[in-house]
Amino acid sequence: MKINGVIIDDTFAEAFPMKATRIIITAMTLKWAYYAANSLTGFASSVIACGCEAAIERDLTPAETPDGRPGIAVIIFAMSTSQLQDQVTKRVGQSVMTTATSACFAGTHSDKQISLGKGLRYFGDGFQNSKVFNGVRYWRVPVMHGEFVCEETTGVVPAIGGGNFIVMAKTARHGLAACELAIKAIDRIHGAVTTFPGGVVGSGSKVGSKYSFMIASTNEAFCPTLKGQVSGSHLTEEIGSVLEIVINGLSEAAIKEAMHVGISAICKHGHDKGIYRISAGNYGGKLGPHHFHLREIMR
Amino acid sequence: MKPLCFKLVRQPAFKVDLSSLTPDRLAGKSLAEIRRIKLAAPGQSLCVADLFEVTGRDTQNIQIRRCTHMVRNIGKGMLQGDIDVHGHAGDYLGRHMQGGRITVSGNAGDWVASGMLSGRIDISGDVGDYVAAASPDERYGMADGLVTIWGSAGDRVGDRMRRGQILVYKDAGDYTGSRMIAGTILVLGRCGHYTGYRMKRGTIILRGSNQHLSPGFSSCGYLKMEFLRLLFKQTAKMGRRFAFFRDFGPEVHRYAGDLSCEGKGEIFILQNARM
Repeated sequence: MKINGVIIDDTFAEAFPMKATRIIITAMTLKWAYYAANSLTGFASSVIACGCEAAIERDLTPAETPDGRPGIAVIIFAMSTSQLQDQVTKRVGQSVMTTATSACFAGTHSDKQISLGKGLRYFGDGFQNSKVFNGVRYWRVPVMHGEFVCEETTGVVPAIGGGNFIVMAKTARHGLAACELAIKAIDRIHGAVTTFPGGVVGSGSKVGSKYSFMIASTNEAFCPTLKGQVSGSHLTEEIGSVLEIVINGLSEAAIKEAMHVGISAICKHGHDKGIYRISAGNYGGKLGPHHFHLREIMR
Repeated sequence: MKPLCFKLVRQPAFKVDLSSLTPDRLAGKSLAEIRRIKLAAPGQSLCVADLFEVTGRDTQNIQIRRCTHMVRNIGKGMLQGDIDVHGHAGDYLGRHMQGGRITVSGNAGDWVASGMLSGRIDISGDVGDYVAAASPDERYGMADGLVTIWGSAGDRVGDRMRRGQILVYKDAGDYTGSRMIAGTILVLGRCGHYTGYRMKRGTIILRGSNQHLSPGFSSCGYLKMEFLRLLFKQTAKMGRRFAFFRDFGPEVHRYAGDLSCEGKGEIFILQNARM
């Protein structure tokens, strides 16, 4: 399959089940909500070492937020509910509550709940109090900027991590120019996020290593500097840089749509601008039950 | 299905207890059975048919027509469904109510929502004293739910209330929020004397300056209370009648108290609440 001269490999992206929650951060201005969201999603690119994966989903207008202020929706993913609980408490406590004028609310609703303000309220040292509106409890913690308002819990929903596609380009400059367009397109999809810096992975990994203490290591089959050195390299002579876009989502449909718009944007950039092939990362179907076949998605 | 309608055809000269006519207690009963239900009244032996003309079938949707203040305990302990009162309601409306909704087109007596546990009561007219309060033999008043009063309320609104929300569109009497344990009282008119007297926790929100607060309250200055944005936005979403809350701002003069009993309650005087 070729789109605008770009070869689409006959392969699939392999993704795995995760747990996720969406939280809504509001502040006096969008700028301050962004500071909180940016801090919360910092060092949250991969569960391999960060404890969770998190990214900004989209900006919210005052009409879309519970308190009528500008806000940002953030999605946080982890491998288990307990891991998600641990990360949400730490990150909201250290990144959102510490941001001036911020407030924090649940963005997903389900029967399964984890604490949001429930644990953070103790920061109020006895001066905290709660209010229940429409059956939802909100904690009010007096802080130096005024008052930190935080919903008591947030819903945990099943999610999918590891949707991906790999972009093979002439140089890193060519690849990044196309990937930036793809990320811009993916950002418009609700329920799907890219958790790596700028949405692009510069050092995609394989499971395992020759070193026993490493659980993941460089994916030499896609390293351009090793293409003449290792057996089984997936790269041809003209490919000088490989970038991966990893997509986490709240549903298969969201990931499929994100992959579709992302690959479309890259193909539109085209062969003439140094984009040669699109592939995807998988482990032969052993890693996860969710398989996203590139040619089906792009059909 | 048509609502189950109780039309008062004989004005009682004594107070009649209507606590047996709630959606959950009437569920599954035929009209004949409902007409035979005994009503408690001092020194009288009465059944429903002696006072009311009963029509309709939907026991989850009850209407009481031509109702007067002699009819008390409407919706007492009800668990679910709707009671729509056309006219006035007597004392103890929605007492110990656990769910559902009561709407009154006229006034209501004393002890509205006393000991209420959940649900919603909307009253278009005025109410008497002790809204959502604890009766003398109870530790707590209203434990949860929402009461909206579109007229004025009497004294001791929310006395010892434990949780929930009360909105008084016009004025409230003396000792509003006295001995309040938690919850929220919003009075958009004027309050009488000693608002917040011996208040432990909770929030009283007032509109308009020169309110007479209990002497144990101390000024915390003029502030923006962020949770008010949330309260006003959520309240504005409750229907067209509440839409004016969209124009309310979070700017308040905050008072903390009642410090005479080490209370951690608060009274907000709204500074930006156009109506």
